[in-house]
Amino acid sequence: MNKILKLALILFMISAIVAGVLGVVNELTKDRIWEINNQKTIEAFALVLPADSYTEVDFDKVAYPAVDNVNKADGGEGYVVQETVSGAQGMITLVVGVDSDYRCSGISIIEHSETSGLGANAASSSEIGQNFRAQFIGEDENIALTKAGGNIDALAGATITSRAVTSAVATAIQVAKSVA
Amino acid sequence: MSEQKEKIVLDVAYQPQVRTNTDTRRLMLDVIIALMPALIWSIVQFGAPALLVVVSSVASAVFFEWGYRKLMKKSNTIGDLSAVVTGLLLAMTLPPTIAWWIPVVGTFFAIVVVKQLYGGIGKNFLNPALAGRAFLLASYALNMGSYAIPKALKGTVDGITMATPLSYMYGTSPMPSYLSLKAIFLGTIPGTIGEISALLLLIGGIYLIARKVISWRIPVAFIGTVAILTLICGHNGLDRGGWMLYNVLCGGVMLGAFFMATDYATSPVTLNGQLVYGVGCGIITVLIRYFGGFPEGVSYAILLMNLCSWAIDKAFHRHQFGVSKEDIAAEKAAKKAAKAAAKEAAK
Amino acid sequence: MNIKKQFVEGLTTNNPVLVQQIGMCATMAITTTLFNGVGMGLSVLIILTCCNVVVSAIRKIIPDEIRLAIFVVVIAGFVTIVDLLLQAFIPALSEALGVFIPLIVVNCIIIGRAEAFCQKNPVGASFFDGIFQGLGYTCVLILMCVFREFFGSGRFGGGLIDVANGFRFTLDGTGSGIQIFPSDYGASILNLPFGGFITLGLLLAVMQYALKKSAKKKELAERAAAEAAALAEKEADE
Repeated sequence: MNKILKLALILFMISAIVAGVLGVVNELTKDRIWEINNQKTIEAFALVLPADSYTEVDFDKVAYPAVDNVNKADGGEGYVVQETVSGAQGMITLVVGVDSDYRCSGISIIEHSETSGLGANAASSSEIGQNFRAQFIGEDENIALTKAGGNIDALAGATITSRAVTSAVATAIQVAKSVA
Repeated sequence: MSEQKEKIVLDVAYQPQVRTNTDTRRLMLDVIIALMPALIWSIVQFGAPALLVVVSSVASAVFFEWGYRKLMKKSNTIGDLSAVVTGLLLAMTLPPTIAWWIPVVGTFFAIVVVKQLYGGIGKNFLNPALAGRAFLLASYALNMGSYAIPKALKGTVDGITMATPLSYMYGTSPMPSYLSLKAIFLGTIPGTIGEISALLLLIGGIYLIARKVISWRIPVAFIGTVAILTLICGHNGLDRGGWMLYNVLCGGVMLGAFFMATDYATSPVTLNGQLVYGVGCGIITVLIRYFGGFPEGVSYAILLMNLCSWAIDKAFHRHQFGVSKEDIAAEKAAKKAAKAAAKEAAK
Repeated sequence: MNIKKQFVEGLTTNNPVLVQQIGMCATMAITTTLFNGVGMGLSVLIILTCCNVVVSAIRKIIPDEIRLAIFVVVIAGFVTIVDLLLQAFIPALSEALGVFIPLIVVNCIIIGRAEAFCQKNPVGASFFDGIFQGLGYTCVLILMCVFREFFGSGRFGGGLIDVANGFRFTLDGTGSGIQIFPSDYGASILNLPFGGFITLGLLLAVMQYALKKSAKKKELAERAAAEAAALAEKEADE
């Protein structure tokens, strides 16, 4: 019994010291980390729907499981929707701007793991990527690929990625309508 | 000494074994002959670019085989023609107007990484040509997906490249009339160098079976499975029979079933095992066509089944002739008893 | 203390990845650009050195029964510190390496060295062990990054080097690297997970080949020396 107590005490003391050090480091870095993350979000949001600031609003998480958060633009009409949808190789995280007419005002892909040279073009800063993303501006919730009768040209060799992004935009517009 | 020799023989294949005069060179020559009709037809249809692809693929395959063996100070094996066959088969899975250096990259992967690093002919765990194709498909997807217009359709179709029958079959636009079943059977369609003419591939395949280079089991099981599954599943209310024929004749099914899936080193040697292997190839092909991201699934189907072939052989492993299961059990028990006795004695 | 021996062991004969074959998961996952490789390698080096020193310093007061628990607490502490610092000061690296920084906690290199080396050796030796093993790990990562980047996209030094406006190092991961040949010619499969597996496999094979060769050479030299000695003895006898 004595031995167990002793072991527990040593482990407790070492854990306490480590926890203390961690607390100090956290205190030193947390403001900076918050600032960096906030800056990143604002930049991504400003790209799809510029506004002074954004307020997160509640939405039906059961009906829209892919939606991460919905943000109302302050000082302007519209919403910015962040979503995580499944692409060809993994999950794609993107933000979609929805303007006051419930049309897409722009998209920005934050994170993805699509095939380089094909699906990865959706997020790239190359001409192909910019042209692909520009197609979404002004589309409404009936958005679809040209193959399915819509206006969006799929990326060459990356139908699945293109379809995922297209349906994410449609979802974003729907969720924006639902919170209005 | 004699015991050891016997063991080596048993490691090679399951019994019964028959000695014949066939050697690797003869077998490979037969495969090359069988591929010729389809190859020549393709060069007629697609012209010089296709010939360039074939030449660069075969030449680089032979060069890498020779160069690796030389570098590693091993015996020279280009005489057995297996490198020529690998180069030829890889070229046949490529679009006819692909840049000449792409097959060179593919044969490097096929010959050096898949074949030679694992010990050379007979020791590769994947079909080298298909592994090379998979490597290229993942690396140069754009180049691998644009198909030139065959000579027979020049004038009917505008542009430089066109969609293959398979992309119409599993796409949304209806099949154009110039891609009729007859065109597909004879080979006046776009596609990879080796897959366009089902008829000529069939002739080559039958030649190989007649020459006893390959057995009928794998191709028949493979093609039969594709036929039966597509007949049962159908597609969007199309005529089932026609749909089935399109599925069997289009894409790489013929080429894969006769020339790729039958590769000795990577297919089962047991007879029932070969049937299971063929059925497996067929099922995976249909699954990829129906549900996969790529329109064609033959190459991945065969590669996946290559990886299973050792397990299939294990499952269908036959015992020696004239020896019943009871005999084997008795023999095992006797061996065990002898071992125990020896141990006892040693004590 | 034998620093030179430790140095050689860390980089070659007892290299953590190529010989001990530990910590391979992150090796395959993150080696897509030189920036990632160097960043991950240095992170592991720092964490490994700190953990080695601490574990070695407290090795006499750690009861044997709970040593693993204590190692994990110490390692997790250092990893979290490095993770927080990266997020605050090199956010690009933290983003690129993603979950692999927190996963260093369960990287077997660190707990492996704590268990195999620091438990039995003084602080000084453990410190150098951390540095050299970390260097060995970093070197493997750099080799893999250079190989995959070059053959996968025809580039060198992605994220770390920028040549757009004259040569300069970019420590925020924005450099586009030196394009050696157009990326259309690169076998982009090497940028995918497959590339990690095949590159590591080839490196392992080369390492084993080299080690075997040098062992054989050594054996031959020893045999020759022994024969010469025997001969000399014989002559002396006569």
